[in-house]
Amino acid sequence: MEATKPIRVWPMLAPVHALVLGVIVLPSLYVVWLSLSASTFGQAPVYVGLANYLKVLADPAFRQALLNTVLLVLVAVHVELLLGLGMALLFASGLPFRRFLLVAVLAPYAVSEVTAVVMWRFLFDPDAGPVTLALRAWGLPTLDWAYEPSHALVLIGLLTVWLHLPFTFVILYAARLAVPGELYEAARIDGATRWQAFRRVTMPLLMPAIVIALLFRYIFAFRLFSEAWLLTKGGPARSTEVVAIYLYQEAFTFNAFGPAAATSWIMVVASLLLAGLYALVLRRSGASHAH
Amino acid sequence: MRTERALVGAGKAVAVAAILVWSLLPIAFIAVSSFKPGQDIFAVPPKLLFTPTLKHYAELWHSWGAFFAGLANSAIVTAGATALAVLTSTIAGYAYARHAGRWMQAGMAGLVIVRLIPPIVVTLPLFPIVNALRLNDTHLVLIVLYATFFVSLGTILMRTFIEQIPRELDEAASIDGAGRLTILWQVIVPLAAPGILAVSVFVAVYAWNEFLFAFVFTATRAKTAPLVISEMIGSIDGVDYGILFAASTVQLVPVLLFVIFMNRHLVAGLTAGATKG
Repeated sequence: MEATKPIRVWPMLAPVHALVLGVIVLPSLYVVWLSLSASTFGQAPVYVGLANYLKVLADPAFRQALLNTVLLVLVAVHVELLLGLGMALLFASGLPFRRFLLVAVLAPYAVSEVTAVVMWRFLFDPDAGPVTLALRAWGLPTLDWAYEPSHALVLIGLLTVWLHLPFTFVILYAARLAVPGELYEAARIDGATRWQAFRRVTMPLLMPAIVIALLFRYIFAFRLFSEAWLLTKGGPARSTEVVAIYLYQEAFTFNAFGPAAATSWIMVVASLLLAGLYALVLRRSGASHAH
Repeated sequence: MRTERALVGAGKAVAVAAILVWSLLPIAFIAVSSFKPGQDIFAVPPKLLFTPTLKHYAELWHSWGAFFAGLANSAIVTAGATALAVLTSTIAGYAYARHAGRWMQAGMAGLVIVRLIPPIVVTLPLFPIVNALRLNDTHLVLIVLYATFFVSLGTILMRTFIEQIPRELDEAASIDGAGRLTILWQVIVPLAAPGILAVSVFVAVYAWNEFLFAFVFTATRAKTAPLVISEMIGSIDGVDYGILFAASTVQLVPVLLFVIFMNRHLVAGLTAGATKG
């Protein structure tokens, strides 16, 4: 089979690669050209060098969007990791009705961003939301997300964690199940406490999965658009925009194709840098664990 | 020792309860509330006993015909995208599983790297092209977009699943005179069914729920259900939660049942996708 001529393989690869080239790769490369030119509707692009990048990087709205995105990614993804890790360990410790509980945990995976926004808007409705009323009844601070930008970001973060926790959990739980039970047996015989077994056995063996889950989620959370758009449209006064919303606004509201294209490539480069970091960390942990 | 065990058990019970509340309560809230008479939706404390009504569903039917057109569009787009992605990924995954070489490695690396490009990046260049081709507001544009953003993961997953099928089976069929497509269809596909199901879950859930591309590329004729719901959220006469809950429930129930039914394949796909891709 190995000796088959490439001529017999490429027709099988053609459909996938044609789709990817035509819909993703070539348009993205065209975005590079757009990002280096000044253009809008009905106007031929003119080469302007890095002017669009400089303009975007100097734009206070972009800086706000970048800051919001970075904060959201850092907080939401790490909260997700902690919750996912805790749940994975809980499941691995033995639970009754494990399959039912697993399916319950997976349920948010089925929920669209739009429906999730409907749910969380209602739960946190400033006047009559059940969670708002419960928080108020217990004398706890409530989320004034419609007016207070930082509160809106908290709600967007909550939504994101809720929607993506199933992914993080499944990755970590699968990795935890792959740890051989004999290792814990050996640790126990050597007189290790639970905490020591966790530190010396569980954590090192889960590290590759933790790195994978984190970086996948960094990369995907950085693209966040729908949750934020549907909740606040980036308002009030562009204060809750994320980078993807900034891109959308530049492209489709202001028809500023150059800055929108520059923002696109800033997003792509950020993803590539994260992935490069991921490859580096994986290679290192691969060397020490022969996974 | 016994008290310690009881404490651990109680702690676990609390944790499990918290997990169930977190995962299911938001879903249960809108599903149950969609059957509540209007004044009971915001009752404090939330009413568990109420006279169920289909009033909101009837209102949805009468005043939001666009939502049901949207559901039909979502169904067409989901079926089309799933078929396209599964078909092309299975064929490519088979080729990658059975052939090695520098070009094959480069192709695979390309598929991995392509996953790093955020979907919103292609909206800007594709928007004028889609308009020029008069594909704006058609099912086809969404089908192609949804399938394309999953064929890279789809191919990677299918390769992983097909690699586990012994090559001897291909060779035996080949000696019996079967051609490559016959081998793929009669030998590989039945054995790689778990992989095909995993890819189907990913694409179908994504296509059914997707918002961004539908928002940018459709207007009226091909508008999907999530887009119609987003318009309800933003409609000028304020949010009518009853109708909104009814629509959200109708949109959610099919995909939720699908995920529950396919949970094993979803878990297998997520695990394989994260470690191989």
